[in-house]
Amino acid sequence: MIKTEKILHLKSSRGGKVRVVREHYLREQVPCGSALCQAQCQAQGQHDGKVLSGDVTHYVVPDAGVVRDFLEVLEFREFRGVVFTQTACQALQNTRGRRHYNRLRGLLKDPRYDCVLFANEFQQFSYCARDRGETQEKWQTRCVYHAAVWYYNHLAGLMSVVMITEDQEAIKEYGSQNSGVYVISTREYLESFWPDLHAAQELYASIAQTLQERESEGAEKEYSEHLPAEVLEAGIKSGRYIQGTLNVNKHRTQHEAFVRFEGSASKNAELNSDVLINGMKHRNRAIHGDVVAVELLPRGEWKGRSMALTEGRGEEKGEDTQSQPMPTGRVVGIIQRNWRDYVVTFPPREELQSQSRNSQKILVIPWDCRIPKIRISTQQAEALQDHRVIVRVDSWESTSLYPNGHSVRVLGKAGEVETEIQTILVENCIHVPPFSEAQLREMPVNSKEQPWQMDQAEISSRKDLRDTHLVFSIDPLGCEDVDDTLSVRTLPGGKRLELGVHIADVTHFVKEGSLTDLEARSRATTYYLADRRYDMLPAVLSADLCSLLGGVDRYAMSVIWELDAESLAVCSVWYGRTLIRSSYQLHYELAQSLLNGEDVEVPELALLESSVRDQKLAELLQALEQLTRVARHLRSQRDKGGALELEGVEVRAQLDEDKNIAALVPKQPLEVHETVAECMIYANHWVARKIQECFPHQALLRRHPPPRQEFFNQLIDSAKSRGFVIDTRSNKALADSLDQAVDPEDPLVNRLMRVMATQAMSNALYFSTGSCPEDQYYHYGLALDRYTHFTSPIRRYADIIVHRLLMAAVQSEKQECFHKSLASNKELEEIAHHINNRNRAAQHTQKQSTELFQCLYFRDKDPLTDERCVADAIIYAIRANGVLVFVPRYGLKGAAYLKNRESQVVSVGDDGGCVWQVGTLQRYPDRISSCTSTGTNTFHLFDHVTVRISVETSRCHSDNLRLELIRNKPHHSAVAESRMSGRVQSELIEEVVRREEASLQAEEEKTRRPRLSKEEREFRQSKRPNLYSILQEISELALSDTAFCHIQNTELPTCTTSA
Amino acid sequence: MAGLELLSDQGYRLDGRKATELRKVQARMGVFGQADGSAYMEQGNTKALAVVYGPHEVRGSRSKSLHDRAVINCQYSMATFSTAERKRRPHGDRKSSEMSLHLKQTFEAAVLTQLYPRSQIDIYVKILQSDGGNYSACVNAATLALVDAGIPMRDYVCACTAGFVEDTPLADLCHAEESGGGTTLSLALLPRSENIALVQMDARLHQDHLPALMEAAAVACKGLSKVLDSVVRQHLQEVSVQTRE
Repeated sequence: MIKTEKILHLKSSRGGKVRVVREHYLREQVPCGSALCQAQCQAQGQHDGKVLSGDVTHYVVPDAGVVRDFLEVLEFREFRGVVFTQTACQALQNTRGRRHYNRLRGLLKDPRYDCVLFANEFQQFSYCARDRGETQEKWQTRCVYHAAVWYYNHLAGLMSVVMITEDQEAIKEYGSQNSGVYVISTREYLESFWPDLHAAQELYASIAQTLQERESEGAEKEYSEHLPAEVLEAGIKSGRYIQGTLNVNKHRTQHEAFVRFEGSASKNAELNSDVLINGMKHRNRAIHGDVVAVELLPRGEWKGRSMALTEGRGEEKGEDTQSQPMPTGRVVGIIQRNWRDYVVTFPPREELQSQSRNSQKILVIPWDCRIPKIRISTQQAEALQDHRVIVRVDSWESTSLYPNGHSVRVLGKAGEVETEIQTILVENCIHVPPFSEAQLREMPVNSKEQPWQMDQAEISSRKDLRDTHLVFSIDPLGCEDVDDTLSVRTLPGGKRLELGVHIADVTHFVKEGSLTDLEARSRATTYYLADRRYDMLPAVLSADLCSLLGGVDRYAMSVIWELDAESLAVCSVWYGRTLIRSSYQLHYELAQSLLNGEDVEVPELALLESSVRDQKLAELLQALEQLTRVARHLRSQRDKGGALELEGVEVRAQLDEDKNIAALVPKQPLEVHETVAECMIYANHWVARKIQECFPHQALLRRHPPPRQEFFNQLIDSAKSRGFVIDTRSNKALADSLDQAVDPEDPLVNRLMRVMATQAMSNALYFSTGSCPEDQYYHYGLALDRYTHFTSPIRRYADIIVHRLLMAAVQSEKQECFHKSLASNKELEEIAHHINNRNRAAQHTQKQSTELFQCLYFRDKDPLTDERCVADAIIYAIRANGVLVFVPRYGLKGAAYLKNRESQVVSVGDDGGCVWQVGTLQRYPDRISSCTSTGTNTFHLFDHVTVRISVETSRCHSDNLRLELIRNKPHHSAVAESRMSGRVQSELIEEVVRREEASLQAEEEKTRRPRLSKEEREFRQSKRPNLYSILQEISELALSDTAFCHIQNTELPTCTTSA
Repeated sequence: MAGLELLSDQGYRLDGRKATELRKVQARMGVFGQADGSAYMEQGNTKALAVVYGPHEVRGSRSKSLHDRAVINCQYSMATFSTAERKRRPHGDRKSSEMSLHLKQTFEAAVLTQLYPRSQIDIYVKILQSDGGNYSACVNAATLALVDAGIPMRDYVCACTAGFVEDTPLADLCHAEESGGGTTLSLALLPRSENIALVQMDARLHQDHLPALMEAAAVACKGLSKVLDSVVRQHLQEVSVQTRE
């Protein structure tokens, strides 16, 4: 190594300039990261990272300036053979900050992108010292050029090397040198090398224009400057500023935002709530989701949050009703921007013309109303009006009223189902491209010509249960991705019972670090939308090779308990890989009828002779009965510990929603559901115990923190209005008191209270055991001290990790050594965080897509005449100018106003009909009264009313439904009752899809375009999450938001019965 | 905040070293004629000068002297120009007296003091340029100076620092790495016997990581001892050539 010195001039903490001398070591051996390398860099430098493929036409070396400004363009996967120099990476880190740098690091690590980092500054021959008086940009360009030349020579000229830069002088200077490296500008590069990649060219043009416009800016200040990072850091440490995440109030985007602060809350005793940020000036350019530093305003300027419901979006009335003044502050600096891709809508032409008189800058309106308008410059405004477009925010200067951004991709015309679905996906940061060629190549083949066969080595290394055990699965009818199977038998001697849970062995097919694994990790879960599904794993795995179908040999991961036949106490547990052949693929109703002793046909046995059949049937029946007994025992044990019985409601709910897949699913939950769920919970629990004991610092578990007591206040108050007492001190007390709070006349009351209880709870989370104290492992909902997810590896990535951990645990026992290094605590915690995030996104997506379809359903119906737009509703919360109601028939929740914009209030006529009249509203904790000249009308909590549903269309945002009170009596509709058999939800979606397809076809005929092929059709899988998994999830209370849509979806049948 | 990336994904540190690589070490012995022993030591950009006087009678009050062994007196100081900003550093400030005490403890463990009862050995060390690892540079320089003075020791005392970044132990930290906020462990080792003369660590570290960190520091110390050994041998060769002439 050669030692040189680097002299830097840095700013000292006091603001003066300091000369700093740093050492800089150079070496001859720096891995080049190319497959063509002649000097075996890779072999020598124990560098096991990525290698650039040798089969590309050229390598491209982007300059520091290109990396800084056009990294997004380089993110296209089509670009292959990209060499990022260390110089460019550091320049990016210094100028664009950590977020962009991490993005680049992500690219470099991701094997799907063909790019490497070359540490040119540590290479003896490619390093060049900065000359005296040379500007930084010039020096960087020179460094990159030298690196490119070295690269060319190092590969002995086998590969042509192209350097791209934005610096025209550099092109002139280096382009003429005869060193074998082509130096061209980015535009030229894109045009000559990638003429077909229009998306990249458009993105390039969009960014270039934005950059150009930015230079010609500068006006008076709209906002105060942000404080520098050091000041913020010091201020936060001293407690002068508060650090937290900015949350904009969805209903008052202009005025209200709250900062939820993190960490040391105890430091400031008076701050036990969020901090209010009032108005855009105080928000000071922070955008929803940013981590900001907040300074509290003096107490005299504190404001309250407004309590009234707002009608419509955008327009906001003067603050009439306010709560107690709460801590109010202003943003002084931004610690971390959390900008993502935003979907925006271009304004229509009229607006466009008035806006863009002098420049090509256009204000576009984001779909998420919490995001301010974004200014972008584009030539295509005319063509794109009323289109939804993805936009990225670049900057927000203090001189500008709105942030600047650039467009990335066009999604389609607003209002079309496909566009809207894509919008929902983008807004939730869900990226689900079709599986790539390379990924599918990793998959095993299973076709008619080439049937998949088990490996002989695998057969010998696994425990073979094919002949010894009666294995069967119980799933909803028609389910094709069977994750889990069960077995139970009495061991010889009769003293012991053997219970087995066999889970699809996904990790056998998905090797750690493979492309499929990476893709699955980034997806983290299968996404279920109202009308479609995006799988985590390619269909060949999820529907075929991993699915434990009946009658075929499959690999499995098993947990097998030996239980005492009498007391059912666990004697021993075995974990490991097995071979199984599922004998029966039952569905719930069938299993239940078998248990009930009904005479039903088991399809697997239909072709057998009657004597054999009877014998087999008896065997199966015995197994089912044993299983039921074990599950009952397990359940009662957990109940003693205080497991929460919230599921009674939700389970039924979900069943109803599933009606369209399993048309026979009855309305009442079957015991067999609980039996299966209980076995799965038991397996999860035991696996959690095993991996936690083996890897105390790096096991992936799932915890459900106990809820905060104050969140239960609404529930307690509501219950009080009906005379019930809810005890929330422990999960057991809560479960018991909820069981008692039943109104015999109205089952919905109990249901709504359970919903409120669910809402009060926090989400269950994945975590790594090393990062959480042991007493917090507890799962509140299930009342288990340790829990994890093990039983659905086909649709959850967490289960895949747990499978790997379990295998490592089993192997370490046998061989006393790890064959592979496991993810460290830190990595695991990162993954857990990622999965939690994705799960939340999946829930939001599901909810939003359901809402979308609800709106589409009501869009063409005339609310005044159509019978279907009038429905029964129940009041579940009281606000200052209205009530929140729940419509069981459509599973909707929404606000119904008692006061309109002209300050008129609802008054009820003699027949129960509602009219608007001048009057006043009086709000009490459990009721709201409107006083008009004709009299006083009171609406109580849990009252039934009739509402009319109509759609409020919005051009830029999602449409939403509007509920209008039309009668204060429950709604009776003969038509509805007769035709509504609890299938409204699915019918609704089907109708919308049908309509959409019809319009597509009509369009097709006009344009004679071939229709998009739908690959999903090929592999017909159950369209919904499999039933057991939903039961399980719900019983686990991972519900919060989605709980809603589940519950909403479901209460349909109950309504029919009550109405 | 925008902290430096101390260890890149490719395994390079800020200055281009790998995790286990030491900085360039250069040393000379016998740089002063007046003192009994002296040495100049460079570990990267950290430069230290050590001077040894003695063994001699105990200066000052006799009561300090020990009847069975020699007293070791250490004094550590930093030059005003040793850091990026010039700063007057009075003697006896807390930092330097702590450092003096550490040096004293280190060498009491290494020097065969029982050979010189009722006498005193003075070790003066000055940091000329500071770029991380001051303590280890001082120990290494003082070792060479003691060798130069011909004072018998059990072994070389080699010192090195090690830090812990992203689950990887880094050997021989430079200033930027030390001030990066992570853990720094200073280890003074008698390499042949692997006895530890002094170990010191600020900041918190999970106990699971401690063995790895100690191991890294010990390996670094052994590497240094080879360098010191070659310096001593080379010096002896030069001196013997001179004396022969």
